[in-house]
Amino acid sequence: MSLLSVAGVTKRFGGITANRGISFDVAPGELVGIIGPNGAGKSTLFEIISGFYRPEEGDVRLDGVRLTGLSPDRVCRLGVARTFQKLRPFAGLTVLGNVMVGALTRTKDVRHAREQAREIVARVGLEDKADAHARTLSTGQRKRLELARALATRPRLLLLDEVTGGVDQRTIPALVQLVRELHASGLTLLVIEHNMRVITAVTQRIIALHLGEVIADGPPDVVARDRAVVEAYLGQAYTR
Amino acid sequence: MSAAPAAVFFALAALASFVVRDAFLLDSLILILLWGSAAAAWNVAGGYAGQISLGHSAFFGLGAYGAAVLGTRWDLSAWIGLAVGAVVATAAGLVLGFLSNRLRGPYFVLATIAFSQVLLIVASRLRAFTAGSEGIPVPFRPGFWTLGLADKRVWVWIVLVVAVLAYLLQRYLDVSRRGYQLAAVREDEDAALSLGVAARRLKVAAIAVSAALTAVTGALWAQYVGFVDPFYVFSVDLSVRFALASIIGGLGTALGPFLGAVLVTTVETYLRAQFGGIGAGLVGIYLVVYGTALIVMVRFAPQGLVGWLRRS
Ligand SMILES: Nc1ncnc2c1ncn2[C@@H]1O[C@H](COP(=O)(O)OP(=O)(O)OP(=O)(O)O)[C@@H](O)[C@H]1O
Ligand SMILES: [Mg+2]
Repeated sequence: MSLLSVAGVTKRFGGITANRGISFDVAPGELVGIIGPNGAGKSTLFEIISGFYRPEEGDVRLDGVRLTGLSPDRVCRLGVARTFQKLRPFAGLTVLGNVMVGALTRTKDVRHAREQAREIVARVGLEDKADAHARTLSTGQRKRLELARALATRPRLLLLDEVTGGVDQRTIPALVQLVRELHASGLTLLVIEHNMRVITAVTQRIIALHLGEVIADGPPDVVARDRAVVEAYLGQAYTR
Repeated sequence: MSAAPAAVFFALAALASFVVRDAFLLDSLILILLWGSAAAAWNVAGGYAGQISLGHSAFFGLGAYGAAVLGTRWDLSAWIGLAVGAVVATAAGLVLGFLSNRLRGPYFVLATIAFSQVLLIVASRLRAFTAGSEGIPVPFRPGFWTLGLADKRVWVWIVLVVAVLAYLLQRYLDVSRRGYQLAAVREDEDAALSLGVAARRLKVAAIAVSAALTAVTGALWAQYVGFVDPFYVFSVDLSVRFALASIIGGLGTALGPFLGAVLVTTVETYLRAQFGGIGAGLVGIYLVVYGTALIVMVRFAPQGLVGWLRRS
């Protein structure tokens, strides 16, 4: 039985079809990479899974439960957490406060939530910044914060949009290591990533999107050599 | 922030009811606590939930009319009028909360202004029910049950209780689960949603509670002053005053609205003494002073008086 099941999802924005008949399944404990050139529809897919967009066709299920049509907060409480490609920290709250908001979705006890948040903040390596306001963080630190916040909701499925994008080169290995650890702890992950080296280092399966469609789905080395994938990226190189 | 400054503030107010004999000073104290409570009520929506409203006079007016209409027409206790006003204002708050989920930023602010002005028109036209634009004198019937209290010191205690409750409500939002969730909604609604916070419901609840508390202050004010004029209780000026006291004192802080109310009420009392009754010219002066105060605060103490105290 798959944990996540995406079936025939189509989403249009006016004349643009951002997602076209997308279907795939993710098994519990799997880590799946999502690649594709700019505008391929990767983030749109995440918006649909997390309940922010409603697809015109198709549906999304988590462990057999239909998510399509539910509000994002319901989807989260059912076990799907996400990060945003364009980061959205609660700028006026402290790092700990940010993470507590996530923890409070699973516990009513503020003290308990604070303890949990402290552990998670330490786990992503932000313990020195726990009491700093989120607006004072660097991009890399903000990425960790979003990850920590999402983890605090104790998800069954975690959607990460561009873990290493815009991050200082030196901090990439630590972030990759963090994703590996999460995967090793049994969490199911869907990871959008532009950096091929990063994605091949963490996953056994990649789904490639192009113009809103799935053009390849398989092991990293196979997908990387797939003709349609190579052409999609070459096309991007030429139009640039 | 620790609760010590607030404890001092409210203890001083309580003490004053025993030592101060001067009617003018007692009157100022009552108004400060009343306007402070109204500003605190506004702060729940504007500061804590981040839903800036310039139509909160709508709720104040509903409370004031609740007390006045029920008292004059059906001879009911002012406390019942207060409760009915609060219930009606809660319903109105739910409507405004619903709007806050449809409209963002300036559109929401404009909708709140329109909301209060619609109520002004209704109140000033419904002659049979509200006595129309002439306003309603609130009958003075001696006794606690009818809120006909000649002793200003008793009034201090009544508004002090309301003020402390308003303060505690805000403290609850500083430390509770709902408070953290509301702060998340204020900072970034989509991010809050993504973390499982039922953002819309929470916003609506905050606005409804804010509305109810504002109505309570309106009812007490009507009973204290003894007259309800629709053009005053539903005015944009009044809404601006709630917002201003809260912003000057410290947006989203529990004590801020009360500190802001000290300043705003003092300045207003001074202006009234200087420029006489409610004349056309005075309205302009208010705006100039309010505007200047706001600019000074934003420039020198962006976190309000509370932030400034915290630093010094
Ligand atoms: N809210 C929106 N309104 C209109 N068009 C949109 C919206 N969101 C996405 N699109 C369009 O849908 C297409 C897919 O966008 P999407 O953000 O999903 O791509 P992506 O694969 O995440 O790209 P990137 O790698 O640049 O993040 C693009 O053409 C984009 O312009
Ligand atoms: Mg994207």
